[in-house]
Amino acid sequence: MIGRFRKVLDLLKPEFYHQTSDHLNPYFTFPDYRKIWGIGIFVLAAAALLPLMVVTLIYYQLIQKSVDSELILRTERVASNARRAVTFFLEERLDALRFTVNEIKYDQLANPIHLAEILRNLKLGFGGLTDLSVIDHTGIQVSYAGPFKMEGKDYSKQTWFVECQKHNFYVSEIFRGYRDLPHIIITVKSFRLDGAHFILRATLETERLIQTLASYETGEHANIILVSRSGIIQTPSKYYGGIFEKMALPVPEYSPRTETVMAIDGQRRSIIVGYAFISTQIADTPFILMVIKQKAKMMGIWLDLRVKINWFVGFAIMAIIIVITITCTLMVNKLYLADKAKAEAMAAMEQNNQLASIGQLAAGVAHEINNPLALINETAGYVKDLFVIKKQYSKDDELLENIDYILEAVERCGTITGQLLGFARKFDVKIQRVNLNEVISDVLVFHNKEAEYRNVNVFVDIPKDIPEIETDRGKLQQVLLNLVNNAFQAVENGCNLDIIASPEGANKVSITISDNGCGMPEEDLSKIFEPFFTTKERGKGTGLGLTITYGLVKKLNGTISVKSKEREGTTFIITLPIRMQEEMSKNENSVGR
Amino acid sequence: MKQYNLLIVDDEQRFADMLARRLNLRGCNCDVCYSGREALNILKRKKLHLILLDLHLPDIYGTEVLTRIRKYDERTPVIIVTGHGTEKDRRECMQQGAHAFMHKPVGIDELMTILAEIGEMPA
Repeated sequence: MIGRFRKVLDLLKPEFYHQTSDHLNPYFTFPDYRKIWGIGIFVLAAAALLPLMVVTLIYYQLIQKSVDSELILRTERVASNARRAVTFFLEERLDALRFTVNEIKYDQLANPIHLAEILRNLKLGFGGLTDLSVIDHTGIQVSYAGPFKMEGKDYSKQTWFVECQKHNFYVSEIFRGYRDLPHIIITVKSFRLDGAHFILRATLETERLIQTLASYETGEHANIILVSRSGIIQTPSKYYGGIFEKMALPVPEYSPRTETVMAIDGQRRSIIVGYAFISTQIADTPFILMVIKQKAKMMGIWLDLRVKINWFVGFAIMAIIIVITITCTLMVNKLYLADKAKAEAMAAMEQNNQLASIGQLAAGVAHEINNPLALINETAGYVKDLFVIKKQYSKDDELLENIDYILEAVERCGTITGQLLGFARKFDVKIQRVNLNEVISDVLVFHNKEAEYRNVNVFVDIPKDIPEIETDRGKLQQVLLNLVNNAFQAVENGCNLDIIASPEGANKVSITISDNGCGMPEEDLSKIFEPFFTTKERGKGTGLGLTITYGLVKKLNGTISVKSKEREGTTFIITLPIRMQEEMSKNENSVGR
Repeated sequence: MKQYNLLIVDDEQRFADMLARRLNLRGCNCDVCYSGREALNILKRKKLHLILLDLHLPDIYGTEVLTRIRKYDERTPVIIVTGHGTEKDRRECMQQGAHAFMHKPVGIDELMTILAEIGEMPA
């Protein structure tokens, strides 16, 4: 099953994935198509996806911010309204007590029957009052109206009594009294005619306050509670502790205004807290109003939308990556195929040219050998003549002399064929130490006669400080032979051909081959290394010589450049590394092959 | 056998000398020179039956020597004997009126046959 899947996958793999033809590798313009493919996909994907992602993130941020500020605004509004309601609730009742002590004389208040009458009227007007009592300046309760019998009780040690004496008014925290029901004590201080002060105290039921708060709770996840300044929960809470327990959230810092803050609760939920310190115009109170909303629950719609956007963005990214991968694969494959075709043509051309060069060489050598052969022929013929025609057997001196001539001519032939064989061997691909002087001499051997006949001045200057270079001798020889051939074809009889070597920095050597021949126009110069481009007559040149030369120089990790002016001459400059092996490994490392 | 006056022009001195000796053995009277200019000088003062001319001479190229010979002597047969001859050279020489175009090495018998043919030609 896996094997079959792999086979299908192999079929889908583009051709460049199997780039294995080692013999063509030197001719490829780009050495590693898989890498180009990978980089191409990465760059295109980055260019396409990065803006999309950035815009999406910015969009998220903006939405988040606007949702947050909307939530804060709404929470603050609720907190502000609830604060007004609570303040009004307490203020109304404090006002009622103040009105009572100002309007009704102490004697009447001290009368329990009268006090019960006042309590009834207050209950009718405001509701939620449990009892009413009058306490004199010593803290002893002088009269009481309500469901309990509490006359004569001493309150002098109670907090509310002490505080009210100091501040004239007092609002207590909610607490459980004798009846185990939550209630608030509010007190007002006033003065008798004799100048002594007394306190009117009322007990308020919290039921109505809780109802008022509940009416501001909108939605499931909002929670409006009162807490004391010490953090004790005063009204029922859904999430942050029971009544009279310590609140699970920290007590907010004091602020005279309604405030809203973002926070994280004990269960690591994100919450919005709106709070206000309740203070009436008459007296300060111990209450802090808190509106607590869970952000996640409030942001439900936005979160749903975000999931949809995420799906959409996800699909878009997938689609972009698929399109980019397909496009990139097709393009790189096309490029690879074109490059491969070019590489194949170059390889074939080089081979053809090598064959052509060897053929040319063989022909040259054959010509060179003809002269000594002719001499052998004549000398041997003459020796034969001596025997056959002159019959001078005894005069051995001349015979010996002529045999020497034969041997000498044979030696000349031997030298030439030796050079031919040496030259042919140099086509093997191998790196060796090469003396430039020797290579150039070897190449010029084949042109010595021509130079002599045509009176071409060949000037060779290889300075002594040029080191031996490590390169492929055969290829270098072919390069030089091609260029020298070209130069010989370009010059008139009696012209000059200069071959000059010079060091290029510490690691390179340049060889300049310049002639003062016919040169070439500028428009030809740019095409000179192109295959099948020739300035020679139809049928005379293949147009491959310089293409191959270029390929060979590249193979030697060198560079070749050309300068030319019509009717003034042409200069080729080859730059070669002194250590080809090092250059090759450097290049291989840099392309990561 | 008729005594032929021959001129051998070749910069390969030993080759020229050797060929002259062999032809002399066969009854010819050979002069030898090693450059085009020398050849033209000899031609001015001596009546020749045949000239053996190399192409790659150090001073004047063989075809040019042939052209100059033909300027004042249209009749003397010239045989080109070369080690480096190209098709172009051959065509050019034949157009200039060379009798034959031969590549080195040249067979002595072949040369003698041509010489016999020339001897039979009307002077």
